[in-house]
Amino acid sequence: MSRISARTRNEWITAYSFLLPNIIGLLIFVFIPILYAFYVSLHDWNALSPKVFSGLDNYKVLLKDDLWWASVRKTLLFSVIYVPLLYVLAIISALLMNALRGKVVGPVRTMFLMPFAITSVISAIIGMFMLDPRNGIINHLLGLAGIGHQQFLGSTAQAMPSIIGVILWINIGYNMIIFLSAMKEIPRDYYEAAYIDGAAGWQSFLSITFPLLKETSTFILIVTTIGSFQALDQILVMTKGGPANATEVSVLYVFKQGFELLNMGYASALAFVLFLIIFCLSIIQLKFLSLKK
Amino acid sequence: MGKRWKGLTIGAVAAMMLFQVGCGNGNSNGNGNGNAAGKNDSPAQTASGGGGKKVKLKFWDFHTEKEEEFFKGLVDEYNKTHDNVEIEYSTFNQADYTTTKLPTAFASGDGPDIYMISPGDFMKFAKSGLMADLNPYFPEGAKEDFLPASLDAVTVDGKVMALPFELELLGLYYNQDMLSNAGVEVPKTWDELYTAAKKLTTDKVAGLILPPDKGPYFNFIWYPFLWQQGGNVLNAEGTESTFNSPETAKALDFWGRFFREGISPTKLQQGPWEIDHLGKKTAAMQIVGTWAINRAEEVFGDVPINVAPLPLPDGGTAATDAGGWKFAVNAKSENADEAAKFIMWAFAEDPQRALEWCTQVKFAYSPRKSVVEQGKDIYSKGMRKVFTEQIYDSAIPEPRYPSEVLDVVGDAMQQVMFGKTDGTQAAKDADGKINEALKKINK
Repeated sequence: MSRISARTRNEWITAYSFLLPNIIGLLIFVFIPILYAFYVSLHDWNALSPKVFSGLDNYKVLLKDDLWWASVRKTLLFSVIYVPLLYVLAIISALLMNALRGKVVGPVRTMFLMPFAITSVISAIIGMFMLDPRNGIINHLLGLAGIGHQQFLGSTAQAMPSIIGVILWINIGYNMIIFLSAMKEIPRDYYEAAYIDGAAGWQSFLSITFPLLKETSTFILIVTTIGSFQALDQILVMTKGGPANATEVSVLYVFKQGFELLNMGYASALAFVLFLIIFCLSIIQLKFLSLKK
Repeated sequence: MGKRWKGLTIGAVAAMMLFQVGCGNGNSNGNGNGNAAGKNDSPAQTASGGGGKKVKLKFWDFHTEKEEEFFKGLVDEYNKTHDNVEIEYSTFNQADYTTTKLPTAFASGDGPDIYMISPGDFMKFAKSGLMADLNPYFPEGAKEDFLPASLDAVTVDGKVMALPFELELLGLYYNQDMLSNAGVEVPKTWDELYTAAKKLTTDKVAGLILPPDKGPYFNFIWYPFLWQQGGNVLNAEGTESTFNSPETAKALDFWGRFFREGISPTKLQQGPWEIDHLGKKTAAMQIVGTWAINRAEEVFGDVPINVAPLPLPDGGTAATDAGGWKFAVNAKSENADEAAKFIMWAFAEDPQRALEWCTQVKFAYSPRKSVVEQGKDIYSKGMRKVFTEQIYDSAIPEPRYPSEVLDVVGDAMQQVMFGKTDGTQAAKDADGKINEALKKINK
């Protein structure tokens, strides 16, 4: 590299100065803890006594831990249902929002964003109240429609779908906004040209909107997938992993091992394996999405 | 933009971003820490500059409202009368207290000197050298004042690791009117309990409230059903599981039936330990403890709530669970000595303080005979009379099983509650897992 102009160098310095705090933050609060967690995973530790080195023992136990792999299955199940649903619903809501005009726009947008704006934990609690088998509004509405009372979070079969429903309700607004802003960037000329050529509605969506949302889609899909593996606080508040472990997803299992049973070493090993799983999945997803067209 | 402004802006943005990453990434964790911020109670500065160094003690617990005020009062009084000691009292959210707050604090060496422990978490902390032996600190004659069973429950290898100060007994609370209106007698046997609860269940009212979610409280309420038949989770030495028995199967099945048939809700809006379920008339009966009496009288005085001993199975013996928190001193603290003195002053000396706690601040039994004697009048008022005369003698202290065992028992209960297996199978499966857990812990 030959001479870099002073101006370019200045720009670089400014850019890195702005990035540096975030990088330092990530190092201190994310990367170093991940390395420390791996270090802890090689020990037997209950947080109250000194660590005892145990090598790869935790990992050997992990491989045979049926409850752990059951939790991984539940997490995958959750993810596989939640991510596509969120994606589709977010795009549809964005399309609808895009088509709205006038005074309705503000209130409707607020309505979509509200569950996300109040902390997710509070939204989860509200969701829990709405789903209450005896007094919840959802059962009340179902009753009006002639359908019997459902147990929702109190039923092993309905707990997971109910949680998916509540988390969808919380996150649709946020993802909708991202799609919406991407859609608004598409020049209207494209649509007009297509209209003149005879394409409209569904066709114009398929050939114009959808392809131009590819980058946004990739971003949303990956971020949502990663997020779906980390859904802890809402599940903890709504079911604590129950009933009968029906909603015990991996993160929750790690939390229980770490803080209820105080198996810090084992929990760290679990967390590290979870990290690897999410990491691999994300890479696969990224490759797959970049390949598509 | 002048050079100086640019530097300043970068600095400001830098600080903001650093802050955001720290809090933003730890999303829920960050919030958790913020919410749990204790309320610090710095006692008034003593005027005397005093010669000696003041010993500073940290006292953490989870109490709220009246209970919190009581302890604050104790701390203030002690600080005033003991010049060489300054105790700082902080409270935290009960749910976070033993799961995250205490372990993380102890792990970082920043734990409190004085704290509270429940039977469910007792072994965890006892085995980690975090509880000081209180034997040397008992005042003359105080140790004999305690019920032997209550001290046994906190003794490990001959050392008294914590100070019990309350015994909370379980009973069957019920709404008198609802029972009379339905023509139902107060149940005395398991069969009667089942039929009564079933009859009293409507769309709006639950027949019987039992805790549905896993956890120490969940097991706490269920144990009597096992004990009344003479069964138990572990053998007397606590070294082997005795869970695989017909008594266990029967207790699991009986418990599970209430949930499967919709008599007990599988999801509650309020904690299962709140008498509010009866108070707000959303339930006809509830198994809950002595702590509910004060609230029932003060807040729900207009609802005819009464209590009866837990119903018995055919041929069973009366048994109820006696829970309660214990006062502990951090053995690793530099000032364990002074901390132990405070605990003893609070609950092992003047019976007045213990009496106030057990009869005014809340209602509970004291493990000290002298206190129960002194409070004779109160212990015969209203619902308390039922506890004193009909329930007290059958109390068995809440076991202090390791968390793994607690978890396995809880799983067994849930499997039966949600129809995954029946009592016999669940007892068998759990039995193996309990022995596994015991082996791991005792290796």
